[in-house]
Amino acid sequence: MATINPKFGKNLKKYGGVNFNACYNCGNCTAVCSLATQDVSFPRELVRMSVVGLEDEIKTSLKPWECYYCGECSTHCPQDANPGELMMSLRRWLTAKYDWTGLSGLFYKYLPAFLTALVLVFAGVLFFANSVNWELERMLHYGHLFEMVAIATVFVVIFIPNLLRMWYFTVIKTGTKAPLKNYFTALGDLFVHMFTQKRAKDCEDNHFRWLEHLILVIAYLSLLFTTVFLNWFGTENLFVIILGYLESAFIFIITVDFVKDRIQKKKALSKKSQPSDWFFVIWLLLMGLTAFCVRLFIDLNILETNKWMYLFHLMVLAQWALLIVPFGKWTHFLYRSFAMYFAKLKTLSTTK
Amino acid sequence: MEKRIGVYICHCGGNISDYVDVEKVRQSVEGDDNIVLAETTMFACSDANQKDMVEDIKNHKLDGVIVASCSPKLHLVTFRNVTERANLNKYTYVHANIREQSSWAHSDNKEGATEKAIHLVKSAIAKARHTEALEPTKVKAEKAVAVIGAGIAGLKAAISLSNKETHVFLIEKEAAVGGWVAKWRDLSMSDETGEALIKRLYEDLKKRDNVTIFTNSEVVSNAGSIGNITLKVKRKDEEFDITVGSILVATGFEPYKPDEGEFGFSTVPNVITLPEFKQLIDHEKDTLTYNGKKVRNVAYIYCVGSRQPEGGNTYCSRYCCTATIHAANEARKKFKDIQNFHFTRGVRSYGKQELLYAESLQGGDIYLQSYEDHLPTVFVRNNKPVVRINDILTGGKELEVEVDLVVLVTGMTPRSDNSVGTMFKLPKGRDKFFNEIHMKLRPVETVIDGVTIAGACQGPKTIIETVNSALSAATKSYTNVSKGMLETDPQIAEIDAKACTGCEDCLPLCPFDAISMKKDGEKPVAVINGTLCKGCGMCTPVCPTDAIDLIAFSNVEIMGMIDALI
Repeated sequence: MATINPKFGKNLKKYGGVNFNACYNCGNCTAVCSLATQDVSFPRELVRMSVVGLEDEIKTSLKPWECYYCGECSTHCPQDANPGELMMSLRRWLTAKYDWTGLSGLFYKYLPAFLTALVLVFAGVLFFANSVNWELERMLHYGHLFEMVAIATVFVVIFIPNLLRMWYFTVIKTGTKAPLKNYFTALGDLFVHMFTQKRAKDCEDNHFRWLEHLILVIAYLSLLFTTVFLNWFGTENLFVIILGYLESAFIFIITVDFVKDRIQKKKALSKKSQPSDWFFVIWLLLMGLTAFCVRLFIDLNILETNKWMYLFHLMVLAQWALLIVPFGKWTHFLYRSFAMYFAKLKTLSTTK
Repeated sequence: MEKRIGVYICHCGGNISDYVDVEKVRQSVEGDDNIVLAETTMFACSDANQKDMVEDIKNHKLDGVIVASCSPKLHLVTFRNVTERANLNKYTYVHANIREQSSWAHSDNKEGATEKAIHLVKSAIAKARHTEALEPTKVKAEKAVAVIGAGIAGLKAAISLSNKETHVFLIEKEAAVGGWVAKWRDLSMSDETGEALIKRLYEDLKKRDNVTIFTNSEVVSNAGSIGNITLKVKRKDEEFDITVGSILVATGFEPYKPDEGEFGFSTVPNVITLPEFKQLIDHEKDTLTYNGKKVRNVAYIYCVGSRQPEGGNTYCSRYCCTATIHAANEARKKFKDIQNFHFTRGVRSYGKQELLYAESLQGGDIYLQSYEDHLPTVFVRNNKPVVRINDILTGGKELEVEVDLVVLVTGMTPRSDNSVGTMFKLPKGRDKFFNEIHMKLRPVETVIDGVTIAGACQGPKTIIETVNSALSAATKSYTNVSKGMLETDPQIAEIDAKACTGCEDCLPLCPFDAISMKKDGEKPVAVINGTLCKGCGMCTPVCPTDAIDLIAFSNVEIMGMIDALI
């Protein structure tokens, strides 16, 4: 027994759900979806659950993560109910539900809150620069240190609790009985999906999307490794320097393509960009670009006279690490991988 | 003078000739008595063959024609018209059915099929030997039409007839014209209110000299037949007669009244019917309240009194999906914070009415659906009605919602007062509404000559559909009276007064009350009213002295046919 709850649908609109209540249940979306199967049926089922407001069912469902948003469903919808965008908004809603701090939900729903947070982080960066008397050496030193601390903190304080919540909602609450062995057996899926988005290969709109994604993930993670552990901005090692250049270049070249798509709005996927989507691609682009420029300025020996360049990079980095990664779209990358992991786990295990 | 008969045997492009040896059939009848011409043809109904037949009839001076082909239901009229074009009386044409009755029925036995076809054709020849030229009976037709019921159908029909310069008597039982539509304010698909629409039509009618409107009036009896029908009208204490050539019945419907306890009706608080809800939203201002309480959440339960299981009203009432969606839209627009929940059995907002459904979905209305064997249930909780459903759109999941008001979407039912139907002997369908002759081919005519039906007395209809049928019925009624003269089918029963013993055995058998007793000198004899008789033949076998014969199906013809068949 569940109660019909129209408020859920209204709330979902704040997460970017558009016009999904126009759905008249023809099921075309599910029929054309190249990822939906008999056992894992979407998007119609989730459109319906959203309309009727079955919050608990959606909260414990992994299905929104099974969708890679090729947009075929929205293209074929006779009612313009935009099922693809609904799936996207459900993923936003889910990240807000997983997030124990509640900040994700706040940022998704209220743009001013997010803008304020961006400004506050910027002010923090200026405050930090002032407290070290705008000395480049110390800024670089503490900037490097900050990066390490931020990663560790976000991981421990935000990601681990949130993933545990996700695990609780989707595995425990659904009554899955999984022996420990299955957690290890399924682990392979976690890494495969984290790096490749290989399921997106089945999406008919763009067979190269998964490849772009693979390169981006590798470039992003290795740049992180290069700057944090190989200290790219401080190293004299020529190999590391060139490696960093390549990685950052890959990042901004691929993200330029993403931004271009969102501006051109040719694909269903990029037609309805929410602020969180823009922040994600633009900040990723800026991350790659500013890191590239900072190292370039160092090699040209002009950073000392252009400290603003490093401050700009530090600001983008801090906003990225403190806001977009823990509370923004970056989390989709994490939750989706874990969703595939939990899904595998559930197929291996029995449900009560 | 000897009969000169021409026979055409049709291949029907193989439908017949694949199983029946048509050439053998032709040879078997060629040279028979009276047969002047015997031919086979690929398609008897083709234009080319029809032209050839006309030429043959003229050249061979034929006075009897037979086509052996398909069912007479398909082409009897076609070939009668051919004979007329050749200046031959159309009643001299005889049709033999060797397709449905032979080639199709015996496709497994070609020899047998051929033999049967020969018999069928010979039997037709036997009948053709006795056919006579017949002239249709002409009766005078009073150039006036009575329209019974002054709802939207009656009003529109009256205007249409009045435009055709026919006198119209518009008879309404109630004190005012307009029926249900006059009681409704907002209508779907129109900016005009129901009240305004009726007022406009009524004002228009009042101006017309050839329209007489009787309100508070009922037809109490009728006499006569098509072209000349006398109705006795009762208005309060007075009674008077009017004479018309045709009658248009537009007596409308009654809304279904739910049984006690049906979806909580009269057992659960705040459960009302659609007409009551319509009145409520029409008359409430700013805020929607019911029983003094503000209404926010409204549940609509569809198909109440319609699409019921066998034994109940199995039909769909057509108008209610649209009417409910329209009312729900109006309520949402007129009052603040209204949330509508539609418990449907599948939405049938056909045609342009789909736009209302789209508007409703856009407005955030929630639709749920169930099958007839799992209908929603209504019960009380916290003094409020709760509706529960196994929603097939959500995989059969059990869902419920607590609401402030439950609206039972009641369908249309036939009038409980059937006096008009009984008086004119109008047949009813399985749904108990008046029945037309053929849903598609003759949609407003009844088997009672001169009586047409329009609007919701025939079955559930929207206003647009009602008006369409009213205009159609008006035109059909008009064709009965337009020429001031009517031709009736001459193929009726006739009584040999000399042979009639006046036993009255035939009287109760006539389904059309066409036989009455009359004095022939001293002797009482039965007489046939030619305009009432349909030529059904019910009376002929019971006559102990064979005094009754059916013209064109006389005893001699039938006996001849039987002889040829066996």
